[in-house]
Amino acid sequence: MKYFDLLRMSASNLLRRKLRTALTVLGVIIGTASIVVMVSLGLGLRKSSLAQIEEYGGLTTINVNNYSWYNSDSTGDEEPKRIDDAVVAEMAQIPHVEVASPLLDVSVIAKQGAYEGWFRIQGMNQEALQKMDIDIAEGELPPADGNLQLFYGNQVITNFYNARTNEYYWETMEVPDVDLMNEPVFLIFDTDAYYQAGSTDGNGQTILPPKKYIIPTCGMMAGDLETYKENCNSVFADIDALKAMLKKVFKNKVIPGQPATKSGKPYKELYYEEVYIRVDSMDHVKEVQQAIQDMGFNANSNAEWMEQTQSQMGMIQMVLGGIGAVSLFVAAIGIANTMMMSIYERTKEIGIIKVLGCDLGNIRSMFLLEAGFIGFFGGMAGLILSEIISAVINSVVGKASGGYYEQLSYIPLWLILVSLVFAVLVGMVAGFFPALRAMKLSPLAAIRNE
Amino acid sequence: MGEMREPVIQVKNLYKVFRVGNERVRALNGVDMTIYKGEFCAIVGTSGSGKSTMLNMLAGLEKPTKGEVIIAGQHLEKMSENQLVKFRREKVGFIFQSFNLLGTMNAIENVALPLTFRGVNKKVREEKAVKMLKLVGLPKHMKHRPNEMSGGQQQRVGVARALVLDPEIIFADEPTGNLDSNTSAEVLKLMRKVVQEQNQTMVMVTHDNHLAGFADRIFHIIDGKIVKVENRSEYKEEEE
Ligand SMILES: Nc1ncnc2c1ncn2[C@@H]1O[C@H](COP(=O)(O)OP(=O)(O)O)[C@@H](O)[C@H]1O
Ligand SMILES: [Mg+2]
Repeated sequence: MKYFDLLRMSASNLLRRKLRTALTVLGVIIGTASIVVMVSLGLGLRKSSLAQIEEYGGLTTINVNNYSWYNSDSTGDEEPKRIDDAVVAEMAQIPHVEVASPLLDVSVIAKQGAYEGWFRIQGMNQEALQKMDIDIAEGELPPADGNLQLFYGNQVITNFYNARTNEYYWETMEVPDVDLMNEPVFLIFDTDAYYQAGSTDGNGQTILPPKKYIIPTCGMMAGDLETYKENCNSVFADIDALKAMLKKVFKNKVIPGQPATKSGKPYKELYYEEVYIRVDSMDHVKEVQQAIQDMGFNANSNAEWMEQTQSQMGMIQMVLGGIGAVSLFVAAIGIANTMMMSIYERTKEIGIIKVLGCDLGNIRSMFLLEAGFIGFFGGMAGLILSEIISAVINSVVGKASGGYYEQLSYIPLWLILVSLVFAVLVGMVAGFFPALRAMKLSPLAAIRNE
Repeated sequence: MGEMREPVIQVKNLYKVFRVGNERVRALNGVDMTIYKGEFCAIVGTSGSGKSTMLNMLAGLEKPTKGEVIIAGQHLEKMSENQLVKFRREKVGFIFQSFNLLGTMNAIENVALPLTFRGVNKKVREEKAVKMLKLVGLPKHMKHRPNEMSGGQQQRVGVARALVLDPEIIFADEPTGNLDSNTSAEVLKLMRKVVQEQNQTMVMVTHDNHLAGFADRIFHIIDGKIVKVENRSEYKEEEE
């Protein structure tokens, strides 16, 4: 029997009993839609919580630090483990590490006009700066030409306050009249001296106000003051340029934050308190973190938070999917019931076609196709319904949450394909035993006269 | 008739026993018969004598309890359900007492149905169906559904459906059982004519002695046994 004739016979059998077919299809529509919407809610929740984690420092970054040195210094028995370039290079060799950069952190005071601001400059190497996925609004990332230039995050301006009126942005919500890009910014590196200026030190000498340096701005991060994202409050610099600047400013003194020898002299080399590590994927964060901890350093990442979120989301998704699955299961029973009814009604007809020589496999295919059709059309219509429900949920929840949940219900392409295939499969599985039954019906039913 | 005729149907020592509760009903009780190519045979007997059981066995619709059924050289009793369906699709036409047309299809589609099962494409099978419907005298009822036709017309469609595949053998179980006597005679004459023209073999079951007279040979069956075989000429004499 030709495949097209099989299709035609199945379709015409469905059309013969329009109301019953429509009701059965309706069951599948509701089943499919409830599964898809439920799963889409789970996916949307997962997506927005991952996005949230990303805002708080990324999904693949590890922060390595060595804050313990102060303590070990005070006990003073042995040289503490310090982070220098060699250690960073070693970390870069750990499998799955994409970027490893020392993080040299310097607190400075900045001045422009009446405004004064306090922030930290983070010196990082070029590779790290390039790969941090920073959106640039103006200018460029800190260049590697040896001159210190700063790259400002989009919320850095909010750190400035009016030194005359003592008004902070957070109090007045007035944007400070500071133009980091186009007006000169004066930086003070020796912040201790700035606050102690005018008083006398231990040797009875008056402390002079520290020197101010004009440090050019190389660029600004994209986004306005409201846009909160990773690094929006940071100020970046090229690490080598920053080191050179610090050496120039502090000459033979100990740079604040750097360790000193027992006699109070600075070491030749600069040590780092932190290392910025980026891993190639979310799944490898934990193992890299472990490897760094084994080296004897503190390592923090969002891996645990993420893992917890992931498993929580997994649970929620299972529960939601389960609720949806129940309704599809009910729909499957509906299909089986409809097919069974139709086989009882058509006992005689099936007998006739068997006497006329219709292949047993063809009879089975005919009924399977019928059930598959119900699944297919139910699945299609169910998907359309899901898209509508999903759009409604998103617009309602999106408004209610003030944009926090942009997409509470998220239907990716794979979900569409999987649920369509699933609906057809459910139809066919539900139709399988009825189809077998039809195949095994005795042809004598056709001949017996009622 | 000639002695060199080729046997198409051979039945050897055939038994069919039904179990009804604790009792056994011997519907067929040791039947032997041979039917030759091009013959029109009738199996005649009273109700319950085992005629339908016999025919079902010949068409491979039921398995014998014991014995052999050889049709066109093939042993039906050894075939699987799938093989039997294939056998019917290729060799057998069947005419039912209650016509058994599919109510949702018109005359052409009903006649074309066996060809559909053979995988013949739509155009070819409908052409053939139209030809068959003209042959059985229904040129004006091509698009009619079964419930828009009289019993006689429906059975003509049934005849056309049985003949459309050009089968070697045609089985008919009380083909005129639901028709009045005039129409019965008409339909039987038609069947006879078509079968003779195409040199096909036909086996008809009936309880009506008069209708059996249309056949070349008549098998009398009583309680599951063939008790007498007659040629038409002998039979006619007897009737008179
Ligand atoms: N499926 C069956 N189960 C039990 N007994 C049956 C069955 N089919 C036929 N019989 C019995 O076999 C005998 C012959 O039946 P059948 O061949 O239908 O007779 P006919 O067609 O000559 O009227 C009857 O006694 C009938 O009751
Ligand atoms: Mg009978």
